Amino acid sequence: MSNHKNQHNLWDFPWGYVESFLIYSGLLITGFLMEIFFPLKTSTGIVFPYNLFILGGLILFIITLQLFFKKQLFVKWLGSVHAAIISIVFIAFMVMIMGIVPQIKTESTTIQLLGLNSITSHWAFLLILFVFLISLGLVTFKRLLNFQISNIGFVLNHLGLFIALSTGILGAGDTIRLNLELEEGKPNWKAYNNKTKEYVELDFAIYLKDFIVEEFQPKLAFVENEKGEIIHNDGKNLYLIHQNEHYIFNDFEIDITKYLASSGRVGEGYHFVNDIGAPPSAHLSIKNTKTNKTINGWISSGSFLYQYESLKIDENLSVVMTIPEVKKFTSEVSILQKNGERIETTIEVNKPFDFDGWKIYQLSYNEKMGKWSNTSVLELVKDPWLPYVYIGVFMMIAGALYMFWAGNQFKKENNHDVD
Amino acid sequence: MTWINFESYYITIVILWTLSLVFLGLSYKTEKLFKFSLIAVLLGIISLIWFDVELWIELHRPPMRTLGETRLWYATFLPIIGLLVYVRWKYKWFLAYCLGMGILFLTINYLNPETYSKTLMPALQSPWFIPHVLVYLFAYALLAASSFVAIKSLYSFYNNTFTENDLKLADNLVYIGFAFLTLGLLFGALWAKEAWGHYWTWDPKEIWAFLTWMMYLLYIHYRHFHISNSKEALLILTAAFIILLICWFGVNYLPVANTSVHTYTQS
Ligand code: HEM
Repeated sequence: MSNHKNQHNLWDFPWGYVESFLIYSGLLITGFLMEIFFPLKTSTGIVFPYNLFILGGLILFIITLQLFFKKQLFVKWLGSVHAAIISIVFIAFMVMIMGIVPQIKTESTTIQLLGLNSITSHWAFLLILFVFLISLGLVTFKRLLNFQISNIGFVLNHLGLFIALSTGILGAGDTIRLNLELEEGKPNWKAYNNKTKEYVELDFAIYLKDFIVEEFQPKLAFVENEKGEIIHNDGKNLYLIHQNEHYIFNDFEIDITKYLASSGRVGEGYHFVNDIGAPPSAHLSIKNTKTNKTINGWISSGSFLYQYESLKIDENLSVVMTIPEVKKFTSEVSILQKNGERIETTIEVNKPFDFDGWKIYQLSYNEKMGKWSNTSVLELVKDPWLPYVYIGVFMMIAGALYMFWAGNQFKKENNHDVD
Repeated sequence: MTWINFESYYITIVILWTLSLVFLGLSYKTEKLFKFSLIAVLLGIISLIWFDVELWIELHRPPMRTLGETRLWYATFLPIIGLLVYVRWKYKWFLAYCLGMGILFLTINYLNPETYSKTLMPALQSPWFIPHVLVYLFAYALLAASSFVAIKSLYSFYNNTFTENDLKLADNLVYIGFAFLTLGLLFGALWAKEAWGHYWTWDPKEIWAFLTWMMYLLYIHYRHFHISNSKEALLILTAAFIILLICWFGVNYLPVANTSVHTYTQS
């Protein structure tokens, strides 16, 4: 890629793309060998205070390099454009492996041996990332040393990325993620840690007052009798079932004469029932416009307790009701503290609740029971490094806005071709 | 009963934009005709935005979930970008390209209507959803435009008709596109934290979005320091676009697909 104008021997100063490529290849090979011989078994990460020491060490190291060793070949290289560009290529390479090989347990011994299914804890990735971070830090620090206001975009982008990456990676070991299973009408304070596979006792208990699932209307679908497959009306969406709705599908005119959100079969038809497991049902009147014959009948989606019911409209087709999709699920809880105080709140997806350094998320529920589930699973997350990661993220957002506002300011005259 | 009236919109818009292309072609001979071209583009854009809004209301949710819906936004944004670029830099050929792409996307949608569902899973019901997706789509549309410039420029390399000016247009598109790409990535992270409790999980879609971001980062840095190595820069830009395409719709076909939270395929 480099077109050196003068005769340039390998490892002569300045180091260009070839040297950068060789250095990063060296890291890559070393990393793979280390992965084969001493793979990183745990993915728990580095915990406090060691991660803080490492971060402090990294920053001090970068400052020392720039202040006292900036004349050294290696330091010059670290802060060079060649190193930056090649490091981006190598990180992209490692990330691409992650994007192709599923990052899960595998049968393949080659993938296992090379650690290709656990790139985030792969030595090669970590080594490359480490040198990359030093590079990025050095580039940023150099610019900060002789800061001018016109560099604000540069600093926001590069320092922001440095902060977000370094605190994000090093802080990962301190995140705690617990699952708390709740049953309606009962408190629980024993949460499960998926990483350590242990139960943890919390300083507080959470009492589930009520768990509520809201559903969308069920949908009406046509099914081929033989294959049992849903036919999409020329790819258009399935019809939502509402009372008195009128639909036309090929030669059929469909009238939804009755819709019951919760019902049970009694004799010939469905009636309103409010029991656990009572499924929705609808009464249809379907006219075949070709033969002028009309068929009446009930359909029901069924539930974990009851059979579904379809309506056959001719030799080829039946009408079915799909199981309603979930719109929203909410836990109404009380948080019980040791000092006797209670906090009443509701927790739902996308609306976590902050409490005592924890963020409490709605995670799941008993999906088999659907809307009759009386259990709810909450996730409690503690992420002490998050504010620092967010400082980096918001700097980058500001940097991106700056980039958008300032546009591309390449100007031929003040642009230096590095070669 | 979404999409029912798409046909009339489709026909109107395609006629308008085809007329616009015809006037654009004629305007190389008779410059006066160009204003008709502009008027037709504008009318087409307005009709399409009208349709987007109608669909949005009809669905009771933002139409930004399925591939078909994203194509719709491309078809909306590309001609807008073409128009803005024309106003700023007077590239008629670029406007023609954007119109062509807009027509293509609408036609794909017309021929393959997918299942448009009114229902939206709880995790997607977030105030972050719309900015995240809109910002991404805008970024992709700009970057797609930049790669078209790249391909055209590579072609002109062989004819020796290449001018640095073409690459300047690519630079501008990449800069703005990259700013939006960064915003999309970061908004996604902030949203993921609110919805799932982790801002970054190396989910396949995230991986490929990150890779796309790295490729354009590479282009920006390479371009900044080797302003005269146009051809290499163009090759990087082309490669970046291939990664972007994989990210956009290739992820579903990769072996990693079933480990993604971003594939909302319906039953
Ligand atoms: C948020 C992501 C990034 C953005 C938006 C960005 C953007 C830029 C821009 C626009 C320039 C040239 C403009 C100027 O000199 O002010 C630049 C320079 C540079 N960037 Fe980045 N960059 C990013 C990340 C990185 C990364 C990850 C590296 C790798 C270590 C890097 C290394 C460099 C270097 C070495 C320079 C030249 C610095 C100098 O001449 O003092 N950048 N970057």
